[in-house]
Amino acid sequence: MKGANVKGTRNGATVLCIGALLSLVVTTAAQEDDSLSIAAALAPRAEGLIVARCSVCHSADLIAQQRLPRARWETTIEKMKQWGAELSPDEADLLVRYLSARYHPGAPDQLPPLDAELRKAEPLTQETLAEGPVTGVAARGAGLFEHNCQACHGAEAMGGMGPKLVKNPILKHEDIFWETVLHGRGPMPAWDSVLSHQDIADIHAWLMTK
Amino acid sequence: MNMGEGRRSVSRRSWMKRLLAGLAAGLLVNRRPAAAKVEEEREGLRETGPLTVRVTRPFDAETPVREFTSFLTPNHRFFVRSHFGPPDEERISEANWRLRVDGLVERPAEFRLKDLHQMDAATITAVVQCSGNGRAFHRPKVPGVQWERGAVGNAQWTGVRLRDLLTRAGVKDQARHVQLQGADRPVVASVPLFIRSIPLEKALHPDTILAYEMNGRPLPLLHGAPLRVITPGWMADSCIKWLSGITVQAEEAKGYYMQTAYRVPAKPVEPTATTHVPSIPVEAMVVKSLVAAPEEGETVKVGPIMIQGVAWSGEAGVVKVEVSLDEGKSWEPARLVGEDHPYAWRQWQLAWKPAGAGTVTILCRATDARGDRQPATTPWNPSGFLWNGWDRVTVTVAGD
Repeated sequence: MKGANVKGTRNGATVLCIGALLSLVVTTAAQEDDSLSIAAALAPRAEGLIVARCSVCHSADLIAQQRLPRARWETTIEKMKQWGAELSPDEADLLVRYLSARYHPGAPDQLPPLDAELRKAEPLTQETLAEGPVTGVAARGAGLFEHNCQACHGAEAMGGMGPKLVKNPILKHEDIFWETVLHGRGPMPAWDSVLSHQDIADIHAWLMTK
Repeated sequence: MNMGEGRRSVSRRSWMKRLLAGLAAGLLVNRRPAAAKVEEEREGLRETGPLTVRVTRPFDAETPVREFTSFLTPNHRFFVRSHFGPPDEERISEANWRLRVDGLVERPAEFRLKDLHQMDAATITAVVQCSGNGRAFHRPKVPGVQWERGAVGNAQWTGVRLRDLLTRAGVKDQARHVQLQGADRPVVASVPLFIRSIPLEKALHPDTILAYEMNGRPLPLLHGAPLRVITPGWMADSCIKWLSGITVQAEEAKGYYMQTAYRVPAKPVEPTATTHVPSIPVEAMVVKSLVAAPEEGETVKVGPIMIQGVAWSGEAGVVKVEVSLDEGKSWEPARLVGEDHPYAWRQWQLAWKPAGAGTVTILCRATDARGDRQPATTPWNPSGFLWNGWDRVTVTVAGD
């Protein structure tokens, strides 16, 4: 967040100024304990991580009711990693910063909702809508499934807390399959901020081979 | 996954835009008086159902305290708490479900539900309360489901005595603890199983039962069907739902939920303490009372008001409930009414004639037969267990 990667661009000076201003604003905001704004800034990625890594086991409302100092957020996230939450060190750090900014002990019981635009989680994937239809590659799907879906749908997609997907009729109704994966259904969270269209196509292709 | 540098720089511009938007949004929301809107939303939620949902999945919900004007808490309004949610219905279907009794016993055994139905039945009316009930009132705040006042209920439980099953199996001399496990499972296998144990003497107590009925109806799925442990007088963390395994052991159960969670410091600790202190498992409930009516925020008339509520304690009867209308400076005894059972809660009432219009805070506190009395606030503990501070309800007395 320091605007350091912009030198060499034609508007570099301007951007640097904005960057500096931004840093100043961030610092001042922090000094004024306006951690809500910092939380809002981190929200797009953090909310995506919460859907992808936390809500596999529990809904996000459990997180939103906590009011904890940073040290306790750190130990909580460490505990969740030990229990199987798939978080890289960078992701864990981002979550700690976000959670301790938004849900700190001084935060009011009733927090203002995340702004509608910010609430839409920033995709963790490189996705552009202009890509057009994608063709799934089954070989890639196996690993993606294991990483993202297996916790609920079981090893080899034979079912678990979520339904068995092997030979599941939904595989033949691709529109419903995509709708469910992208936007969620019932207890299943939406995966549109986590899986790219290519990822979903790969998983679908792999499931079709089972 | 897919967290390449390329994407990061692509998104940098929108990232900055969002940061600016966020700062602006932060400034805006800070200036908007949101209290009125929040209150409206809260009222709206009240209409949507009888339980106050704390966590959607796994489903954790508490009972609105106004329900506690009745002696028994109805099944569909009884608080719900579990770590992993109910097991697959198939696992606990009549055809598949078995209760296994093993460990330090002469004759390991398996029981079907119909076997249990053929044994002598016992019925106990008992309070079941989450150890974390009232966690939201601890300061500094502690992590966990932020229960307020309603993670508690009073129901009539019918089932078999755990003692009868253990006697059939033949407990060996070395046995000291009884491990209890339900059929519920975490989503991810790396999460510790919810396994608890109770000391053998509690397991052999004639009032400790395995309940298959709740308030005269088959035990509902959310409350542990087909079988749930009831340890009267003890916190609900030993009231294992969906019970499927009983293992008699020489030691306390191993694992997170016995060795780390559901424990309190053996001696009070300061919130700032960082060193590990000796701890003991949460067992008996502490003396506690609630104001069930009038409700928090209610507007009442100047005419006589019946203040009513419930009071209970773990292993001793409630002998006194007192009400204060002046922030605890003076206390007036309430009248204990209704049914009186060893492990149930006791209802109480006090007629009050407000002096005039204005805002009044009603406090209550109970005392049990051992002389334990509810404190103004409960000693802080890192997991926020056993809250039993004075209950507090603020009402508005309307003019005329």
